[in-house]
Amino acid sequence: MGNAKILIVDDEKIMRESLAGWLLRDGHDVETAKSGEEALEKLSATRYNILLLDIKMEGISGLDVLKHLKENDPDVAVVMITAYGSISTAIEAMKNGAADYLLKPFDPNELGVLIEKILENQARVLENLYLKEQYKERTRFESMIGQSRAMQEVFDLITDVAPMNSTVLITGETGTGKGLAAKAIHTNSPQSQGPFVVVNCGAIPEHLMESELFGYQKGAFTDAKETKKGRLELAHGGTLFLDEIGEISMRMQIDLLRVLEDRIFYRVGGTQPLEVDFRVIAATNRDLQKAIKNGSFREDLYYRLNVVSFKMPPLRERKEDLPLLAEHFLSRFTQETNKPIDRISRAAMDEIMIYDWPGNVRELENAIERAVVVCKGPKIMPEDLPIFCAEEGARPDTNSLVEIEKAHIAQVLKDNDWNISRSAKILEIDRSTLYNKIKRYKIQKPS
Amino acid sequence: MSASTEHTVVVSFIGDCGEELFLPVSRGIQRVFGCGVKRMPLLTDVDFALDPNRDQYHSTLILDKLAEAAPEGAAKVLAITAVDLFIPILTHVYGEAQLGGKTCIVSTFRLKEGLSPLSAQDTYQVRLVKEAIHELGHTFNLRHCQDPACIMHYCRSVRDVDRKSDQMCRYCKVLFDDEMKRLAKQASSA
Repeated sequence: MGNAKILIVDDEKIMRESLAGWLLRDGHDVETAKSGEEALEKLSATRYNILLLDIKMEGISGLDVLKHLKENDPDVAVVMITAYGSISTAIEAMKNGAADYLLKPFDPNELGVLIEKILENQARVLENLYLKEQYKERTRFESMIGQSRAMQEVFDLITDVAPMNSTVLITGETGTGKGLAAKAIHTNSPQSQGPFVVVNCGAIPEHLMESELFGYQKGAFTDAKETKKGRLELAHGGTLFLDEIGEISMRMQIDLLRVLEDRIFYRVGGTQPLEVDFRVIAATNRDLQKAIKNGSFREDLYYRLNVVSFKMPPLRERKEDLPLLAEHFLSRFTQETNKPIDRISRAAMDEIMIYDWPGNVRELENAIERAVVVCKGPKIMPEDLPIFCAEEGARPDTNSLVEIEKAHIAQVLKDNDWNISRSAKILEIDRSTLYNKIKRYKIQKPS
Repeated sequence: MSASTEHTVVVSFIGDCGEELFLPVSRGIQRVFGCGVKRMPLLTDVDFALDPNRDQYHSTLILDKLAEAAPEGAAKVLAITAVDLFIPILTHVYGEAQLGGKTCIVSTFRLKEGLSPLSAQDTYQVRLVKEAIHELGHTFNLRHCQDPACIMHYCRSVRDVDRKSDQMCRYCKVLFDDEMKRLAKQASSA
């Protein structure tokens, strides 16, 4: 099982420190808070997998922290820590959403098993999301559009880079089309007749990553009923696209580096070396230099990947492409839905041009898709666009930045059925920041 | 820095816990980490760390004292004791180490569980060597490994200790090499 990001909340320094030391040696990323107040502060800035929470503390109690968390980020697993006399409170906490409780002092094995169980459960949820994302990916727009100078430069780079066999690193914000650029390089490369194999490093749970990449031999583990080829093998003769490479675990970084250096690997449970030949393209929205500095990304792997690199421009820096992109999406979605909509009204296009599109092309694509669904007439009107429609998403009369932000967040949440992960991704903020903003702006979920 | 202790792991026995174990432990350390090993008494007892309510010894306090007593220039210090160790949040620990630090300790107290009379001494000795290397691994910044055969795997029971090998897996070897390079770079820039 992989490693977790854990927050320990306990007002006793010695308990905090001994537990943190233990969990650090176990390979987890650990932070501590000495009070409920400090815990809430940390929770607003960082997302944790697990909270180990002492029940009895001065000020904001463990139960209060639990209540706050379950209202704002119910996916974080909370384990209550309690002394023998407070078991009834711990049971009460479990009724309020805590995953489990531990009696102080606890057996190290008990703690290990509990963390493993929680991580397995969280990995299953992630796996589900990944499968949904894969399905969506299959229907995604597969060409690149843009007449702006910024995009012309990208096209020139792709044209120059594609015929070479060099590894390419594509950077840029979420939704800027890094995957499309990778596909364009593949399509225009000598490997274009070979497969284009995508590995979404951020979406595949760590425990599945090894078998996904390397495949496995029949009998390698309990569920390995048949030998399965991994994505490295499937990419032979083509291109391997490592999307969200910044999210890959340290173990996988070591393995991947070895494959990139030697072009040889073994299936899980296999003894026969397999030789592969493919081109590698990697993409990330993370600052890898920063990740190297904080020790979460290997420098040698970075240099192996960063042979040629370029950045995909955000949509706000190529607004001249907005009409073309919007029309393209309109044509696609009207064909898919058979709706008799033939254009985007001038007023709606003006609104599209004013908006900054923090979620980039993907946000625009979603906005047009939604507009096509709700549009009643032959042309898209401003009110059909999710960013400007009525009620909580209504364009504020005031020009205050806060009001604009509030309205935008409300609209993105509404458009995504209050799916926090998806909304946070579109808004390009982390989930805890989104929860805090929902709370701060008192944005209500419709009942 | 003393030339005699530089790049050397100091092994220090606390109390009577079988100094004949020095040879297998030192061989194990040399094989896995490639460092020299030296035996040196550092603490005469660990009574200062006794918690009378639990009748166990607080390992973190012992590590702090070991760090103070460590000879200048010793790369790492490994203490071996027969007393039962704990950290306040947990019921017991087999050992403890300063992650990426200098000192670590292993207790033999729970390593004798489930020994068969026929192979008792051999098994016990192998267990101790594995746990000593495991704790020393932490001082080289290695964390617990998911591979159940790797020496850095966290064992829930002595049976797990028996099952794991006395070697690092290939991931841990890479991470250990990284750490050695980092330490060498740090030493050359000092």
